[in-house]
Amino acid sequence: MRRLANILAVAAALVTAFPIYWMVLSAIKPAGEIQSLDVSLWTANPTLDHFVRVITGEGFGRYFLNSAMITLAVVVLSAGVSFLAAVALTRFKFRFRTTVLIMFLVAQMVPVEALTIPLFFVVRDMGMLNTLWALVAVQLAFTLPFSIWMMRGFVAAVPEALEEAAMIDGASRFTVLWRILFPLVAPGLVASSVFAFIVAWNDFVFARTFIISAKDNQTLPAALLVFFKPDENDWGGIMAASTLMTIPVLIFFVAVQRRLISGLGGAVKH
Amino acid sequence: MKVVYCAVALLALAACAPSTAPASGGGDEKTGTLRVWLYDEPNRAPKDKVVAEAIKEFTASRPDVKVEVTHVPTTPARHEKFKGAFNDPASAPDVAEFGNTDLAEYAAAGGFAEIDLTGLDVSPEQVESVTVDGKTYGLPWFIGVRALYYRTDVFEELGLKPPTSIGELTETARTIRKKKPDLYGIAVGGEYTYGSLPFLWSGGGEITSLDSPGSRKGVKAYTDLMTDEICPPQACASLTGGKTVELFASGKAAMGILGNFSRSAVEAGAAAGKWAVVPVPGFDKGSYAPVFAGGNNLGVMKSAKHRTLALEFVKLLGGKAYQAKMYDAMGNIPTLTAAREELAAKDAFVRPFLDGVAKGTKFVPLDPAWVKIDNGKVIPTMLQKVATKKATVEEATTEAAAAVKTAFGQ
Amino acid sequence: MTRSKGVKRTLRPWVYLLPTAAVLIPLLAYPLYMLGLLSLFDYRQEQVSGGEPTTFLGLGNYTRLLSDGRFWEVLVQTVGFAAALVAGTLFVGAALAIVMDRAAPWARTALALAALAAWAAPAMTGSTVWMFLFDADLGLVNQVLGIDGYNWFYDRWVTFGVVGATVVWHSFPFVMVTLYAGMRAIPDEVLEAASLDGASPVRAFRLIVLPMLRPLVTIVVIQSIIWNFKIFTQIYIMTAGGGIAGQNTVLNVYAFQTAFGSSEYGLGAAIGVVMTLILLVVTLVYIRALYRSGEKL
Repeated sequence: MRRLANILAVAAALVTAFPIYWMVLSAIKPAGEIQSLDVSLWTANPTLDHFVRVITGEGFGRYFLNSAMITLAVVVLSAGVSFLAAVALTRFKFRFRTTVLIMFLVAQMVPVEALTIPLFFVVRDMGMLNTLWALVAVQLAFTLPFSIWMMRGFVAAVPEALEEAAMIDGASRFTVLWRILFPLVAPGLVASSVFAFIVAWNDFVFARTFIISAKDNQTLPAALLVFFKPDENDWGGIMAASTLMTIPVLIFFVAVQRRLISGLGGAVKH
Repeated sequence: MKVVYCAVALLALAACAPSTAPASGGGDEKTGTLRVWLYDEPNRAPKDKVVAEAIKEFTASRPDVKVEVTHVPTTPARHEKFKGAFNDPASAPDVAEFGNTDLAEYAAAGGFAEIDLTGLDVSPEQVESVTVDGKTYGLPWFIGVRALYYRTDVFEELGLKPPTSIGELTETARTIRKKKPDLYGIAVGGEYTYGSLPFLWSGGGEITSLDSPGSRKGVKAYTDLMTDEICPPQACASLTGGKTVELFASGKAAMGILGNFSRSAVEAGAAAGKWAVVPVPGFDKGSYAPVFAGGNNLGVMKSAKHRTLALEFVKLLGGKAYQAKMYDAMGNIPTLTAAREELAAKDAFVRPFLDGVAKGTKFVPLDPAWVKIDNGKVIPTMLQKVATKKATVEEATTEAAAAVKTAFGQ
Repeated sequence: MTRSKGVKRTLRPWVYLLPTAAVLIPLLAYPLYMLGLLSLFDYRQEQVSGGEPTTFLGLGNYTRLLSDGRFWEVLVQTVGFAAALVAGTLFVGAALAIVMDRAAPWARTALALAALAAWAAPAMTGSTVWMFLFDADLGLVNQVLGIDGYNWFYDRWVTFGVVGATVVWHSFPFVMVTLYAGMRAIPDEVLEAASLDGASPVRAFRLIVLPMLRPLVTIVVIQSIIWNFKIFTQIYIMTAGGGIAGQNTVLNVYAFQTAFGSSEYGLGAAIGVVMTLILLVVTLVYIRALYRSGEKL
């Protein structure tokens, strides 16, 4: 039984990981080998040509930075803002509390791409089109409802007595909130940060719609389109750019994976 | 309490009816980055080189100016880009290349500034191609006419002659694929609207009456080319014009309906030096099909932040020297009369294209509805449905004709 | 407690909610309202940038939509595709969660890491890699199968199959990891007790594990429905905006192209409203399920 499970697990792991492997491999294959019709699952002549072309030729270094800045801003802001909201929703009893909760729940299902149309005009009227702030703002809006919903469970799990004890010891409300409670909900922060990270880093539709002419403000997913040529797609370039785009998320995931799984497990209990 | 709260909120919001565009943001800064949108094209390198040269010349005398070029796809996805720029004047580029088919819609959207063409040697029919309601919205940059490219080596080997009618074209294409199964008889594509229009027009059809017998005759003839015996639908149904250029240039097809502007792409591929051009034939033997009088313009956006600089750049890149250079680089036929006559005298390449023009050209409807038809992929959908046998010619053309009517708001 | 302290106490939660409101009201609530509003207007390019006045149409955009055969085709297609994706994701995710639960730690880690990689890959990269794998001329799949030139993006159902595989590849890890975490959360003693009572593993799974996982399964199902119904990037990229003759279009792509391509902003908004309403119904079912599972709001 266990042997069968092992075989299945390894087979599934191989199939699942293969596209990623193929992406990285194609990114370091010389152009001639990509064009070749022979099947080869490795390359004897790895090259960084595609990366050089992507980064220096098409300015992907800049786009990488843009994506990274947006994502960082969204993750940090979303963690702080959703933590505060979660505290409000768990530590206080007030009118409309349930209403507010339901609204956050409903907000999660809003098809964000359908909102592109009105958001385009809203962001335009704010004078923020073509800027990175526009992307930070909309991504933040889309991650918050889910993050709040998730954080709520984690805040509730921390005994209130802890804060009361600290207050009695003379700690200020600020200290209690940010020095005591905030670190205690770390697993929840990890889980909601993963979510915010993915949403912000992967965004394609808003980057495509909101960044109109400011070439310097493009993000990775939208910039990738330049390699889809009208005649022949530049697969080497596409794969190199895709690799650039995947590595940071991969590192982030591996770094937090233990906490992520315990975070999700935590969400299960609540 | 709750009700009151909601009512107040509603009242406040109801005041915000959808807004129309903010007042045009434009300006006339003399320094900074000039943003230029140019079309992405098959084998773009020679075009990039000429443009880079123009930028160098332009910035040499203007040290405080940088020119930044962004490439816009030629597929219908370009409309999304342009609409974005019209909707938010603050984000608009300064200069943009645009196809003359899109002019009516772009003018209605108020996207481009008027340009005074007096004193420039632009031929009258070219001036007309940038004019809407008596106003000129751009500098015609080049003429784009399609003709039939064919592989001289293949034709010679098989003892074939360039076709002089659509019937012959079909037969020739079939013969080639039969004798050389790894070649497509002709490269045609389901998403290649401008490749299909000569067939439609030659049959006596019109875009505004896609369900007429003439249109159907043309649609049938064009889609008959997308069969396993000529250009298998598996491969060809989804091809855009750019991809058919690639097929012909890489030596995978014996014929192709390509524009003069694709010359450099063909010369860069396996077909280099082994091709010739004749006008696209019509249904009657010895006749020419009316060709699509395409061409691209350079325009200054109405909300350009560097109005004067933009105009100067347009006049430089669209001027005689660079029109000639673009011809050498890409095969773009100049719009300036003098430049064109010089060329026709010394280079035989332009002959078949200009012959085609002389026999009559046609154009897409000069109406904002055309962009809707183009963006809605009405004609490609019609061609693809027939080619993939999802609909008969009658069904597909009837459906397309209805879509065209809707686009015109009828 | 003094009166002012009481007021402070009532106000405090609202102060904590202020940053959230500052983001969500202008960027989510108001756009949602605008979406509905736009869908009632004749709002095209001439109105947006050409200076023409907007006209109120009432339900005009909706009548136009509902009488358009194309809209219904896309709607049905979207629902069908989303249903298939949900089924596929759940099946693969649940099956592999069980495998993970049973496998040795090293095999489990291998699978978890691979799944993490697929989970982490942006939708954009997943699309490009799978497109490349299935490319007609240079794709590995055709080379291995020896069917050079076969176009995987030609037939409607084959195309949906390839795009669907890409989406499932992206989304099964979430289901797998969540269900696995849920299974781990079930105390071992419960299962031990069952096996002492003579219950077979299958029986124990059906009678004990499944019921305990039910709330979790509900969440996973609803989340999958919401995600898959909103699918955009994979279709937009892999089928070049909807496939041959638009045969692979889904609602989200359709709304986007109607608005930003054809400049029918009002009509595009109406499609968005229809999508939102459908998802709203799904969410209401979700909320009911949460209540039923005893979740305290």
